Amino acid sequence: MEKYKKGNFKGKINSSGQIALDTYKLEIISDLQGAKPGQFISVLCPEKTFRRPFSISNFDSKKHLLTILFKLKGDGTNYLKNLKKGDDIEFSAPLGNGFELLNKNSLLVGAGIGIAPMLFLKKELDSNNIKNYLMGGFKSKEEVIEGSDETVIGGSVLDNIEKIIDEKQIEIIYSCGPLIVLKLLSQIAKKKNIPSYLAMERVMACSLGVCRGCVIKLLKNNEEQNASVCKDGPVFLGSEIIWN
Amino acid sequence: MELKIKTTLINKKTNNSISFKTPIITASGTYGYNNEFEDFIDLDFLGAISTKGITLEKRLGNEGERIFELKGGMINRIGLENVGIEAFIKDKLPLLKEKNIDFLLNIAGSSIDDYIKLASCADENNIKALEVNVSCPNVSHGCLEFGLNPDILHELTLKIRKNYGGFLIVKLSPNTSDIKPLALACEEGGADCISAINTLRGLGINVQYENNKFYKKSVEGGVSGSLIKPSALYMIKQIKQVVSIPVIGMGGILTLDDLFEFIYAGADAFEIGTANFMKPSLASDLAKELNEFIIKNEFKNFDDLKERIRND
Repeated sequence: MEKYKKGNFKGKINSSGQIALDTYKLEIISDLQGAKPGQFISVLCPEKTFRRPFSISNFDSKKHLLTILFKLKGDGTNYLKNLKKGDDIEFSAPLGNGFELLNKNSLLVGAGIGIAPMLFLKKELDSNNIKNYLMGGFKSKEEVIEGSDETVIGGSVLDNIEKIIDEKQIEIIYSCGPLIVLKLLSQIAKKKNIPSYLAMERVMACSLGVCRGCVIKLLKNNEEQNASVCKDGPVFLGSEIIWN
Repeated sequence: MELKIKTTLINKKTNNSISFKTPIITASGTYGYNNEFEDFIDLDFLGAISTKGITLEKRLGNEGERIFELKGGMINRIGLENVGIEAFIKDKLPLLKEKNIDFLLNIAGSSIDDYIKLASCADENNIKALEVNVSCPNVSHGCLEFGLNPDILHELTLKIRKNYGGFLIVKLSPNTSDIKPLALACEEGGADCISAINTLRGLGINVQYENNKFYKKSVEGGVSGSLIKPSALYMIKQIKQVVSIPVIGMGGILTLDDLFEFIYAGADAFEIGTANFMKPSLASDLAKELNEFIIKNEFKNFDDLKERIRND
């Protein structure tokens, strides 16, 4: 897959709005040339020491339009929420490794706001004619973000997942969501003997791989090693992650 | 753009010196080993980078949470995760040379012997400038122990000096009640320059009340960012009262005004650390801003500006 030029970008808000409970969507016009699903941007938020990372939820290369979704959490997301059409926004992008698209029958699992990169991945899989099935899991009806093939409300998005893997003859799993969901999914993938590619989340300082603030542990070739979520990730092979 | 901010740091006792395109250096641990920021900064306006702190052996760093955001700064307890000197020389150094990036090799040890080996290795590889970290608060032994006792620091500096012929910078810790004897120990031990300050010890705590229960998170480590600027300015002024070697100032630099304040306190060049996280292009942005200020206000050069700030 082609690589897109990384850098700092000064964009403008094209649209902003609420799409679910405490959940917002921002469209940004900038010179960013493109991005892979699973990659993210890190946004400069006034007065905050760390830029805030957001998965790219869509990229429209004709309009140079990038979409992020976010859930209100603190000062950073409150700043973003208040941005209006035409406002400036400064960010670095596209960051991280992103998902590799493989020509395999794919199951996508987006838990909560973790659906954001899954929507982008689904779009790319569709346009490459790769068979896929996206499941979105949300705590309540009010929190549902549209776009999934199947939406699970309340309970766990993983409750029927093994049945779905069998029925749909799934060969690969992609997911983003809370740590516990990713951990359980990696165990399910192992049991089913299929690979899982999981987008991890950590508080980041530099977001470029240098400060080593967001490292997780991987087991690769029987050797324990550090990997930065921001640069080596955020996407990791589930079987290599050492879960605490 | 004409560059008027070329900076030369000179140890007037020995005439040992080093020159940079600009006086702005990116601080150790905030910029990686070589070209990681290439896409995010204008390298033509970067004075130098201080590399990630290098130890003799590779280190994986600390377990658990490593960073904690504060209003106006952060706390880190990375624990010197790095590739080790051998891998640095083999894998990182060639790219620094190829890209023509000026750098300070930042080193840290857990024994005097470690520092001697690292310094000798830097010497053998013709590394022009060494920044000796005797002030990392985040490793269980070594490092900071050398930085807080003037006698040990003097001995350490002497021994490094014996084994290293390039420009020798010692990076001091603010975690002391009196920084002056430490600065003197460096100068008398043969250091060409002092950089200050490293992070201040601190504790970040976050307490949340949810579902009838308190959830707590705490990170103990080194505090950096604009909230430590007054301490940095104070320490630099103290250092300058007792030594004549140049000082590279750091601790919360974010704006052109900050540069002026650091110059007035006694800094001859600057390092930018935490602010790189906020804005990866800040080091080159500030260098441009400084250069434009000098041109617009018709100062001869950066040295002239420094004189004027100190003497007007």
